[in-house]
Amino acid sequence: MTRHTMAIDLDSCIGCHSCAVVCKQENNVGLGTFYSKVLTIGPSGTYPDLEMYYLPVACQHCDNPQCVSVCPTGASYKREDGIVLVDHSKCVGCQYCVMACPYGVRTYDASKDKGVIEKCTLCAHLVDDGKEPACVRHCPGQARVFGDIDDPESKISQLIVKKKTHKLTDVGNHPSVTFGLDKCEWKGGE
Amino acid sequence: MAVQWPLLIFSVLLGASSGILIFLGIGEIKGKFKSVRFALALTALILLAIGGCASALHLGHIDRAFYILGNMGSGLSKELFAVAFVGIMTLIYVILSRKDYPGPTKAFGILAMIGAIVLPIVAGASYMMPARPAWDSFTLPLMFLGTGIGMGFVLAAAFVFTKADSAKKETEGDTAKTALLVTEDDKKLAMTLALVGVVCSVAVMLIYVIWIAMAPHPDPSRSMMRLAGGDLAVAFWVCVVLIGMAGPLALVWKANKDMTHPVADNADAADGAVIAGAQDGAAVAIATPAAAKKAANVTPVTALWASLACLVVGSVVLRVIMYAVATSVEQLIY
Repeated sequence: MTRHTMAIDLDSCIGCHSCAVVCKQENNVGLGTFYSKVLTIGPSGTYPDLEMYYLPVACQHCDNPQCVSVCPTGASYKREDGIVLVDHSKCVGCQYCVMACPYGVRTYDASKDKGVIEKCTLCAHLVDDGKEPACVRHCPGQARVFGDIDDPESKISQLIVKKKTHKLTDVGNHPSVTFGLDKCEWKGGE
Repeated sequence: MAVQWPLLIFSVLLGASSGILIFLGIGEIKGKFKSVRFALALTALILLAIGGCASALHLGHIDRAFYILGNMGSGLSKELFAVAFVGIMTLIYVILSRKDYPGPTKAFGILAMIGAIVLPIVAGASYMMPARPAWDSFTLPLMFLGTGIGMGFVLAAAFVFTKADSAKKETEGDTAKTALLVTEDDKKLAMTLALVGVVCSVAVMLIYVIWIAMAPHPDPSRSMMRLAGGDLAVAFWVCVVLIGMAGPLALVWKANKDMTHPVADNADAADGAVIAGAQDGAAVAIATPAAAKKAANVTPVTALWASLACLVVGSVVLRVIMYAVATSVEQLIY
Protein backbone atom coordinates (compact mmCIF):
# COMPACT_ATOMS: atom_id res chain seq x y z
CA MET A 1 0.00 0.00 0.00
CA THR A 2 1.28 3.45 -0.86
CA ARG A 3 2.22 5.67 2.07
CA HIS A 4 3.36 9.08 0.92
CA THR A 5 5.59 11.04 3.23
CA MET A 6 8.83 12.98 3.34
CA ALA A 7 12.35 12.55 4.66
CA ILE A 8 14.60 15.55 5.22
CA ASP A 9 18.37 15.24 5.26
CA LEU A 10 19.27 17.90 7.81
CA ASP A 11 22.96 17.55 6.98
CA SER A 12 22.12 18.91 3.51
CA CYS A 13 19.74 21.66 4.67
CA ILE A 14 21.41 25.08 4.35
CA GLY A 15 18.63 27.01 6.08
CA CYS A 16 17.79 29.12 3.04
CA HIS A 17 14.01 29.07 3.72
CA SER A 18 13.33 28.39 0.03
CA CYS A 19 10.91 25.63 1.04
CA ALA A 20 8.87 28.05 3.16
CA VAL A 21 8.80 30.66 0.38
CA VAL A 22 7.96 28.30 -2.48
CA CYS A 23 5.26 26.67 -0.33
CA LYS A 24 3.55 30.03 0.09
CA GLN A 25 3.72 30.64 -3.65
CA GLU A 26 2.47 27.20 -4.66
CA ASN A 27 -0.38 27.10 -2.16
CA ASN A 28 -1.26 30.79 -2.13
CA VAL A 29 -0.69 30.92 1.63
CA GLY A 30 -1.84 34.17 3.20
CA LEU A 31 0.21 36.79 4.98
CA GLY A 32 1.29 35.65 8.46
CA THR A 33 0.42 32.03 7.74
CA PHE A 34 2.99 29.33 7.10
CA TYR A 35 2.53 25.73 6.06
CA SER A 36 6.25 25.18 6.42
CA LYS A 37 8.87 26.99 8.47
CA VAL A 38 12.57 26.52 9.13
CA LEU A 39 13.81 26.58 12.72
CA THR A 40 17.41 27.16 13.76
CA ILE A 41 18.47 24.63 16.37
CA GLY A 42 21.46 25.77 18.36
CA PRO A 43 24.22 26.77 18.42
CA SER A 44 24.94 24.28 21.18
CA GLY A 45 28.08 22.92 22.80
CA THR A 46 31.13 24.74 24.19
CA TYR A 47 33.47 26.91 22.15
CA PRO A 48 35.19 25.91 19.93
CA ASP A 49 33.10 22.72 19.63
CA LEU A 50 29.86 24.39 18.61
CA GLU A 51 27.21 22.96 16.33
CA MET A 52 23.98 24.11 14.80
CA TYR A 53 21.47 22.75 12.32
CA TYR A 54 18.27 23.80 10.61
CA LEU A 55 15.00 22.01 11.12
CA PRO A 56 12.30 22.49 8.47
CA VAL A 57 8.96 21.85 10.16
CA ALA A 58 5.56 21.34 8.57
CA CYS A 59 2.70 18.89 9.10
CA GLN A 60 4.21 15.52 9.96
CA HIS A 61 1.30 13.64 8.30
CA CYS A 62 1.11 11.40 11.35
CA ASP A 63 0.06 7.76 11.12
CA ASN A 64 -2.34 8.34 14.02
CA PRO A 65 -3.12 12.06 13.67
CA GLN A 66 -4.58 13.63 16.81
CA CYS A 67 -5.88 16.52 14.72
CA VAL A 68 -8.15 14.08 12.89
CA SER A 69 -9.49 12.41 16.03
CA VAL A 70 -10.36 15.70 17.76
CA CYS A 71 -11.93 17.32 14.70
CA PRO A 72 -15.67 17.53 15.50
CA THR A 73 -16.82 17.85 11.90
CA GLY A 74 -14.59 15.37 10.13
CA ALA A 75 -13.02 18.26 8.17
CA SER A 76 -9.56 16.99 9.10
CA TYR A 77 -9.03 13.63 7.48
CA LYS A 78 -6.34 11.24 6.39
CA ARG A 79 -6.23 9.96 2.84
CA GLU A 80 -5.48 6.34 2.06
CA ASP A 81 -2.02 7.34 0.85
CA GLY A 82 -1.23 8.85 4.28
CA ILE A 83 -1.63 12.55 3.48
CA VAL A 84 -3.55 14.48 6.18
CA LEU A 85 -5.78 17.20 4.75
CA VAL A 86 -8.44 19.70 5.81
CA ASP A 87 -11.72 19.95 3.91
CA HIS A 88 -12.33 23.69 4.17
CA SER A 89 -16.01 23.33 3.28
CA LYS A 90 -16.56 21.38 6.52
CA CYS A 91 -14.15 23.24 8.81
CA VAL A 92 -15.87 25.35 11.50
CA GLY A 93 -12.61 26.93 12.66
CA CYS A 94 -12.90 25.61 16.22
CA GLN A 95 -9.10 25.29 16.45
CA TYR A 96 -9.16 22.08 18.47
CA CYS A 97 -6.81 20.53 15.91
CA VAL A 98 -4.39 23.42 16.48
CA MET A 99 -4.39 22.56 20.19
CA ALA A 100 -4.10 18.82 19.55
CA CYS A 101 -1.16 19.10 17.15
CA PRO A 102 2.13 18.74 19.06
CA TYR A 103 4.09 20.60 16.41
CA GLY A 104 2.34 23.96 16.04
CA VAL A 105 2.07 23.49 12.28
CA ARG A 106 -1.62 24.24 11.91
CA THR A 107 -2.69 27.85 11.57
CA TYR A 108 -6.08 29.43 12.00
CA ASP A 109 -6.66 31.78 9.10
CA ALA A 110 -8.74 34.56 10.62
CA SER A 111 -9.04 36.55 7.39
CA LYS A 112 -12.58 37.56 6.51
CA ASP A 113 -13.27 35.02 3.78
CA LYS A 114 -11.53 32.09 5.48
CA GLY A 115 -12.06 31.39 9.22
CA VAL A 116 -10.68 27.90 8.68
CA ILE A 117 -7.54 25.91 9.49
CA GLU A 118 -4.62 25.94 7.10
CA LYS A 119 -1.79 23.41 6.97
CA CYS A 120 0.70 21.65 4.72
CA THR A 121 -1.12 19.50 2.16
CA LEU A 122 2.07 17.79 1.02
CA CYS A 123 1.03 19.49 -2.23
CA ALA A 124 -1.62 16.80 -2.70
CA HIS A 125 -2.76 18.52 -5.91
CA LEU A 126 0.72 18.01 -7.39
CA VAL A 127 1.10 14.50 -5.95
CA ASP A 128 -2.21 13.50 -7.57
CA ASP A 129 -0.71 14.77 -10.83
CA GLY A 130 2.30 12.50 -10.40
CA LYS A 131 4.58 15.37 -9.33
CA GLU A 132 6.55 16.09 -6.16
CA PRO A 133 5.62 18.69 -3.54
CA ALA A 134 6.91 22.19 -4.37
CA CYS A 135 9.30 22.29 -1.39
CA VAL A 136 10.95 19.07 -2.57
CA ARG A 137 11.27 20.26 -6.15
CA HIS A 138 12.80 23.61 -5.21
CA CYS A 139 15.14 22.65 -2.36
CA PRO A 140 18.60 23.84 -3.52
CA GLY A 141 20.39 21.47 -1.14
CA GLN A 142 18.21 18.54 -2.30
CA ALA A 143 17.65 17.89 1.37
CA ARG A 144 13.98 16.92 0.96
CA VAL A 145 12.94 13.58 -0.43
CA PHE A 146 9.33 12.64 -1.09
CA GLY A 147 7.97 9.21 -1.87
CA ASP A 148 6.33 5.99 -0.83
CA ILE A 149 7.83 4.82 2.43
CA ASP A 150 6.33 1.35 1.96
CA ASP A 151 8.38 0.86 -1.20
CA PRO A 152 11.90 -0.25 -0.21
CA GLU A 153 13.23 0.82 -3.63
CA SER A 154 11.98 4.40 -3.30
CA LYS A 155 14.43 7.28 -2.78
CA ILE A 156 12.89 8.04 0.59
CA SER A 157 13.32 4.48 1.88
CA GLN A 158 16.93 4.45 0.71
CA LEU A 159 17.72 7.74 2.42
CA ILE A 160 16.24 6.46 5.68
CA VAL A 161 18.40 3.34 5.52
CA LYS A 162 21.54 5.39 4.86
CA LYS A 163 21.17 8.01 7.60
CA LYS A 164 20.86 8.18 11.35
CA THR A 165 17.18 9.06 11.54
CA HIS A 166 15.01 10.93 14.01
CA LYS A 167 11.42 11.98 14.39
CA LEU A 168 9.74 14.76 16.31
CA THR A 169 8.37 13.89 19.76
CA ASP A 170 5.82 11.11 19.46
CA VAL A 171 2.94 11.07 21.95
CA GLY A 172 1.02 8.34 20.22
CA ASN A 173 0.48 10.28 16.97
CA HIS A 174 3.38 8.53 15.17
CA PRO A 175 4.75 11.30 12.94
CA SER A 176 5.62 10.00 9.47
CA VAL A 177 8.22 12.60 8.44
CA THR A 178 11.78 11.41 9.05
CA PHE A 179 14.80 13.61 9.69
CA GLY A 180 18.28 12.37 8.83
CA LEU A 181 21.09 13.88 10.91
CA ASP A 182 24.61 12.45 11.18
CA LYS A 183 26.80 15.52 11.67
CA CYS A 184 25.16 17.07 14.77
CA GLU A 185 23.52 15.86 17.93
CA TRP A 186 19.70 15.67 17.58
CA LYS A 187 18.08 18.04 20.06
CA GLY A 188 14.52 16.83 19.75
CA GLY A 189 12.62 14.80 22.30
CA GLU A 190 11.89 11.70 20.18
CA MET B 1 -0.95 29.02 24.44
CA ALA B 2 -2.97 32.22 24.27
CA VAL B 3 -6.05 32.36 26.48
CA GLN B 4 -9.13 31.36 24.49
CA TRP B 5 -11.58 33.69 26.22
CA PRO B 6 -14.80 32.43 24.58
CA LEU B 7 -13.96 28.88 25.70
CA LEU B 8 -12.89 30.06 29.13
CA ILE B 9 -16.15 31.97 29.67
CA PHE B 10 -18.11 28.97 28.39
CA SER B 11 -16.40 26.59 30.80
CA VAL B 12 -16.95 28.89 33.80
CA LEU B 13 -20.64 29.52 33.01
CA LEU B 14 -21.21 25.88 32.14
CA GLY B 15 -19.68 24.91 35.49
CA ALA B 16 -21.82 27.36 37.47
CA SER B 17 -24.92 26.21 35.59
CA SER B 18 -24.11 22.57 36.31
CA GLY B 19 -23.48 23.35 39.98
CA ILE B 20 -26.91 24.97 40.30
CA LEU B 21 -28.59 21.98 38.64
CA ILE B 22 -26.79 19.52 40.92
CA PHE B 23 -27.87 21.66 43.90
CA LEU B 24 -31.48 21.54 42.71
CA GLY B 25 -31.25 17.81 41.97
CA ILE B 26 -30.16 17.17 45.56
CA GLY B 27 -33.03 19.42 46.64
CA GLU B 28 -35.49 17.36 44.56
CA ILE B 29 -34.25 14.12 46.13
CA LYS B 30 -34.59 15.61 49.61
CA GLY B 31 -37.84 17.46 48.83
CA LYS B 32 -36.34 20.92 49.43
CA PHE B 33 -35.94 24.29 47.65
CA LYS B 34 -39.47 24.27 46.18
CA SER B 35 -39.83 28.05 46.54
CA VAL B 36 -36.57 28.81 44.69
CA ARG B 37 -36.24 26.02 42.15
CA PHE B 38 -37.92 27.84 39.27
CA ALA B 39 -35.73 30.92 39.55
CA LEU B 40 -32.56 28.87 40.07
CA ALA B 41 -33.28 26.46 37.21
CA LEU B 42 -34.00 29.43 34.94
CA THR B 43 -30.71 31.00 36.05
CA ALA B 44 -28.90 27.75 35.21
CA LEU B 45 -30.52 27.68 31.78
CA ILE B 46 -29.60 31.31 31.10
CA LEU B 47 -25.99 30.75 32.19
CA LEU B 48 -25.76 27.72 29.91
CA ALA B 49 -27.24 29.69 27.00
CA ILE B 50 -24.87 32.64 27.52
CA GLY B 51 -21.94 30.22 27.79
CA GLY B 52 -23.04 28.49 24.59
CA CYS B 53 -23.21 31.84 22.77
CA ALA B 54 -19.75 32.74 24.12
CA SER B 55 -18.29 29.47 22.87
CA ALA B 56 -19.81 30.07 19.44
CA LEU B 57 -17.64 33.20 19.20
CA HIS B 58 -14.66 30.87 19.13
CA LEU B 59 -15.78 29.38 15.82
CA GLY B 60 -14.54 30.71 12.53
CA HIS B 61 -17.69 29.53 10.76
CA ILE B 62 -20.69 29.65 13.06
CA ASP B 63 -22.90 28.93 10.00
CA ARG B 64 -21.47 25.40 9.99
CA ALA B 65 -22.04 24.83 13.74
CA PHE B 66 -24.26 21.79 13.15
CA TYR B 67 -21.42 19.99 11.39
CA ILE B 68 -20.00 19.66 14.92
CA LEU B 69 -22.04 16.52 15.41
CA GLY B 70 -20.20 14.99 12.44
CA ASN B 71 -17.61 13.06 14.46
CA MET B 72 -19.05 11.72 17.70
CA GLY B 73 -15.62 10.41 18.65
CA SER B 74 -14.47 14.01 19.07
CA GLY B 75 -14.64 15.65 22.50
CA LEU B 76 -16.26 18.74 21.05
CA SER B 77 -19.10 16.74 19.47
CA LYS B 78 -19.72 14.97 22.79
CA GLU B 79 -19.68 18.35 24.53
CA LEU B 80 -22.30 19.79 22.17
CA PHE B 81 -24.46 16.70 22.65
CA ALA B 82 -24.14 16.99 26.45
CA VAL B 83 -24.99 20.72 26.35
CA ALA B 84 -28.08 19.97 24.24
CA PHE B 85 -29.18 17.21 26.65
CA VAL B 86 -28.73 19.37 29.76
CA GLY B 87 -30.37 22.34 28.04
CA ILE B 88 -33.47 20.35 27.08
CA MET B 89 -33.77 18.66 30.51
CA THR B 90 -33.37 22.02 32.25
CA LEU B 91 -35.92 23.70 30.01
CA ILE B 92 -38.49 20.99 30.79
CA TYR B 93 -37.60 21.22 34.49
CA VAL B 94 -38.06 25.01 34.42
CA ILE B 95 -41.51 24.64 32.86
CA LEU B 96 -42.58 21.88 35.25
CA SER B 97 -41.26 23.64 38.35
CA ARG B 98 -43.44 26.67 37.58
CA LYS B 99 -46.47 24.52 38.37
CA ASP B 100 -46.79 21.72 40.85
CA TYR B 101 -46.29 18.38 39.12
CA PRO B 102 -44.36 16.59 41.89
CA GLY B 103 -43.46 13.37 40.06
CA PRO B 104 -42.35 14.71 36.66
CA THR B 105 -40.63 17.74 38.23
CA LYS B 106 -38.57 15.49 40.48
CA ALA B 107 -37.75 13.15 37.56
CA PHE B 108 -36.57 15.96 35.28
CA GLY B 109 -34.73 17.65 38.15
CA ILE B 110 -32.78 14.44 38.68
CA LEU B 111 -32.21 13.96 34.93
CA ALA B 112 -30.91 17.53 34.67
CA MET B 113 -28.65 16.83 37.67
CA ILE B 114 -27.21 13.71 36.04
CA GLY B 115 -26.58 15.64 32.84
CA ALA B 116 -25.04 18.45 34.88
CA ILE B 117 -22.58 16.03 36.50
CA VAL B 118 -21.58 14.60 33.12
CA LEU B 119 -21.38 17.90 31.21
CA PRO B 120 -18.35 19.52 32.94
CA ILE B 121 -16.55 16.16 32.80
CA VAL B 122 -17.18 15.88 29.06
CA ALA B 123 -16.21 19.54 28.55
CA GLY B 124 -12.99 19.11 30.52
CA ALA B 125 -12.17 15.82 28.82
CA SER B 126 -12.26 17.51 25.41
CA TYR B 127 -9.07 19.32 26.46
CA MET B 128 -7.22 16.12 27.28
CA MET B 129 -4.62 15.94 24.52
CA PRO B 130 -1.30 14.14 24.64
CA ALA B 131 0.28 17.14 22.88
CA ARG B 132 -0.41 19.34 25.93
CA PRO B 133 0.94 17.56 29.03
CA ALA B 134 -0.58 20.12 31.41
CA TRP B 135 -4.03 19.20 30.12
CA ASP B 136 -3.68 15.50 29.56
CA SER B 137 -5.09 14.27 32.86
CA PHE B 138 -8.43 13.37 34.43
CA THR B 139 -7.66 16.15 36.95
CA LEU B 140 -8.72 18.69 34.30
CA PRO B 141 -12.34 17.47 33.92
CA LEU B 142 -12.35 17.01 37.68
CA MET B 143 -11.34 20.66 38.06
CA PHE B 144 -14.13 21.73 35.66
CA LEU B 145 -16.67 19.72 37.68
CA GLY B 146 -15.42 20.71 41.14
CA THR B 147 -15.13 24.44 40.49
CA GLY B 148 -18.56 24.32 38.86
CA ILE B 149 -20.01 22.65 41.94
CA GLY B 150 -18.39 25.33 44.09
CA MET B 151 -19.74 28.24 42.08
CA GLY B 152 -23.18 26.71 41.51
CA PHE B 153 -23.74 25.59 45.11
CA VAL B 154 -22.66 28.92 46.58
CA LEU B 155 -24.70 30.91 44.02
CA ALA B 156 -27.76 28.80 44.78
CA ALA B 157 -27.22 29.05 48.55
CA ALA B 158 -26.77 32.83 48.31
CA PHE B 159 -30.02 33.00 46.35
CA VAL B 160 -31.84 30.86 48.94
CA PHE B 161 -30.73 33.18 51.75
CA THR B 162 -31.52 36.32 49.76
CA LYS B 163 -34.94 34.97 48.93
CA ALA B 164 -35.50 34.00 52.58
CA ASP B 165 -34.71 37.54 53.71
CA SER B 166 -36.92 39.25 51.11
CA ALA B 167 -39.79 36.77 51.48
CA LYS B 168 -39.75 37.30 55.24
CA LYS B 169 -40.30 41.04 54.73
CA GLU B 170 -42.97 40.54 52.06
CA THR B 171 -45.01 38.05 54.05
CA GLU B 172 -44.82 39.68 57.47
CA GLY B 173 -48.26 39.25 59.05
CA ASP B 174 -49.69 37.70 55.89
CA THR B 175 -50.28 34.05 56.62
CA ALA B 176 -51.64 33.44 53.10
CA LYS B 177 -48.23 34.16 51.62
CA THR B 178 -46.19 32.02 53.97
CA ALA B 179 -45.84 29.41 51.21
CA LEU B 180 -43.38 31.82 49.62
CA LEU B 181 -41.07 31.45 52.56
CA VAL B 182 -37.85 29.56 52.37
CA THR B 183 -37.93 27.13 55.26
CA GLU B 184 -35.24 26.78 57.90
CA ASP B 185 -34.56 23.30 56.55
CA ASP B 186 -33.97 24.80 53.09
CA LYS B 187 -31.49 27.23 54.58
CA LYS B 188 -29.68 24.54 56.55
CA LEU B 189 -29.33 22.29 53.52
CA ALA B 190 -28.30 25.23 51.31
CA MET B 191 -25.59 26.23 53.77
CA THR B 192 -24.33 22.66 54.07
CA LEU B 193 -24.19 22.35 50.29
CA ALA B 194 -22.39 25.71 50.01
CA LEU B 195 -19.74 24.41 52.41
CA VAL B 196 -19.46 21.13 50.49
CA GLY B 197 -19.22 23.06 47.21
CA VAL B 198 -16.42 25.31 48.41
CA VAL B 199 -14.45 22.40 49.87
CA CYS B 200 -14.94 20.53 46.61
CA SER B 201 -13.77 23.52 44.57
CA VAL B 202 -10.67 24.06 46.70
CA ALA B 203 -9.81 20.34 46.61
CA VAL B 204 -10.01 20.04 42.79
CA MET B 205 -8.05 23.27 42.32
CA LEU B 206 -5.27 21.85 44.50
CA ILE B 207 -5.38 18.51 42.67
CA TYR B 208 -5.06 20.24 39.30
CA VAL B 209 -2.12 22.34 40.50
CA ILE B 210 -0.45 19.16 41.76
CA TRP B 211 -0.97 17.68 38.27
CA ILE B 212 0.75 20.69 36.68
CA ALA B 213 3.72 20.01 38.98
CA MET B 214 3.75 16.28 38.12
CA ALA B 215 2.82 16.30 34.42
CA PRO B 216 5.03 14.20 32.13
CA HIS B 217 7.52 15.73 29.66
CA PRO B 218 8.62 18.38 32.20
CA ASP B 219 9.54 21.76 30.77
CA PRO B 220 10.11 25.20 32.36
CA SER B 221 7.15 26.59 30.38
CA ARG B 222 4.73 24.38 32.32
CA SER B 223 6.61 23.94 35.56
CA MET B 224 5.44 24.59 39.10
CA MET B 225 8.19 27.23 39.30
CA ARG B 226 6.23 29.44 36.90
CA LEU B 227 3.33 29.37 39.37
CA ALA B 228 5.31 29.51 42.59
CA GLY B 229 7.80 32.24 41.72
CA GLY B 230 7.69 32.97 37.99
CA ASP B 231 5.54 35.14 35.74
CA LEU B 232 2.33 33.45 36.95
CA ALA B 233 3.12 33.83 40.67
CA VAL B 234 0.88 36.85 41.32
CA ALA B 235 -2.04 35.26 39.48
CA PHE B 236 -1.52 32.00 41.31
CA TRP B 237 -0.90 33.17 44.87
CA VAL B 238 -3.24 36.17 44.94
CA CYS B 239 -6.08 35.19 42.61
CA VAL B 240 -6.14 31.41 42.96
CA VAL B 241 -4.81 30.63 46.44
CA LEU B 242 -5.88 33.71 48.40
CA ILE B 243 -9.03 34.79 46.58
CA GLY B 244 -10.09 31.53 44.95
CA MET B 245 -9.37 29.10 47.79
CA ALA B 246 -8.86 30.78 51.18
CA GLY B 247 -11.45 33.52 50.58
CA PRO B 248 -14.49 31.32 49.87
CA LEU B 249 -13.55 28.88 52.64
CA ALA B 250 -13.34 31.65 55.23
CA LEU B 251 -16.48 33.42 54.03
CA VAL B 252 -18.69 30.33 53.84
CA TRP B 253 -17.34 29.10 57.17
CA LYS B 254 -18.28 32.46 58.69
CA ALA B 255 -21.71 32.45 57.04
CA ASN B 256 -22.32 28.96 58.40
CA LYS B 257 -21.18 29.98 61.88
CA ASP B 258 -23.33 33.11 61.82
CA MET B 259 -26.35 31.12 60.74
CA THR B 260 -25.88 28.55 63.48
CA HIS B 261 -25.03 30.95 66.32
CA PRO B 262 -25.93 34.47 65.18
CA VAL B 263 -26.17 36.23 68.54
CA ALA B 264 -23.26 34.56 70.25
CA ASP B 265 -20.96 35.23 67.32
CA ASN B 266 -21.77 38.89 67.08
CA ALA B 267 -21.13 39.30 70.77
CA ASP B 268 -17.87 37.41 70.51
CA ALA B 269 -16.75 39.48 67.59
CA ALA B 270 -17.68 42.70 69.28
CA ASP B 271 -15.47 41.70 72.15
CA GLY B 272 -12.54 41.79 69.79
CA ALA B 273 -12.23 38.11 68.99
CA VAL B 274 -10.35 36.91 65.96
CA ILE B 275 -12.74 36.35 63.11
CA ALA B 276 -12.47 35.37 59.51
CA GLY B 277 -14.16 37.29 56.79
CA ALA B 278 -12.08 40.05 55.33
CA GLN B 279 -12.66 40.77 51.65
CA ASP B 280 -9.61 38.75 50.63
CA GLY B 281 -10.73 35.90 52.81
CA ALA B 282 -7.72 35.78 55.06
CA ALA B 283 -8.22 35.45 58.78
CA VAL B 284 -7.84 38.91 60.22
CA ALA B 285 -7.29 39.92 63.80
CA ILE B 286 -9.79 42.59 64.69
CA ALA B 287 -8.02 45.07 66.87
CA THR B 288 -10.85 47.30 68.02
CA PRO B 289 -14.36 46.51 69.20
CA ALA B 290 -15.75 49.00 66.63
CA ALA B 291 -14.06 47.24 63.73
CA ALA B 292 -15.14 43.91 65.14
CA LYS B 293 -18.73 45.06 65.30
CA LYS B 294 -18.55 46.25 61.69
CA ALA B 295 -17.11 42.93 60.53
CA ALA B 296 -19.66 41.02 62.55
CA ASN B 297 -22.37 42.78 60.57
CA VAL B 298 -21.42 40.78 57.47
CA THR B 299 -24.57 38.73 57.10
CA PRO B 300 -24.60 35.18 55.75
CA VAL B 301 -26.14 36.57 52.55
CA THR B 302 -23.29 39.03 52.02
CA ALA B 303 -20.70 36.42 52.92
CA LEU B 304 -22.18 33.95 50.42
CA TRP B 305 -22.30 36.46 47.55
CA ALA B 306 -18.74 37.57 48.38
CA SER B 307 -17.70 33.92 48.42
CA LEU B 308 -19.26 33.45 44.98
CA ALA B 309 -17.30 36.43 43.64
CA CYS B 310 -14.09 34.92 45.05
CA LEU B 311 -14.86 31.53 43.50
CA VAL B 312 -15.49 33.09 40.09
CA VAL B 313 -12.17 34.99 40.27
CA GLY B 314 -10.34 31.83 41.34
CA SER B 315 -11.95 29.70 38.61
CA VAL B 316 -11.27 32.23 35.86
CA VAL B 317 -7.64 32.80 36.86
CA LEU B 318 -6.95 29.08 37.26
CA ARG B 319 -8.19 28.62 33.69
CA VAL B 320 -5.97 31.49 32.52
CA ILE B 321 -3.07 29.60 34.12
CA MET B 322 -4.35 26.41 32.49
CA TYR B 323 -3.91 28.03 29.07
CA ALA B 324 -0.58 29.61 30.00
CA VAL B 325 0.98 26.26 30.93
CA ALA B 326 -0.53 24.45 27.92
CA THR B 327 2.71 24.42 25.97
CA SER B 328 3.40 21.66 23.50
CA VAL B 329 5.23 18.49 24.26
CA GLU B 330 7.60 19.25 21.36
CA GLN B 331 10.21 21.51 22.91
CA LEU B 332 11.82 22.32 19.55
CA ILE B 333 8.69 24.02 18.33
CA TYR B 334 7.83 26.19 21.31
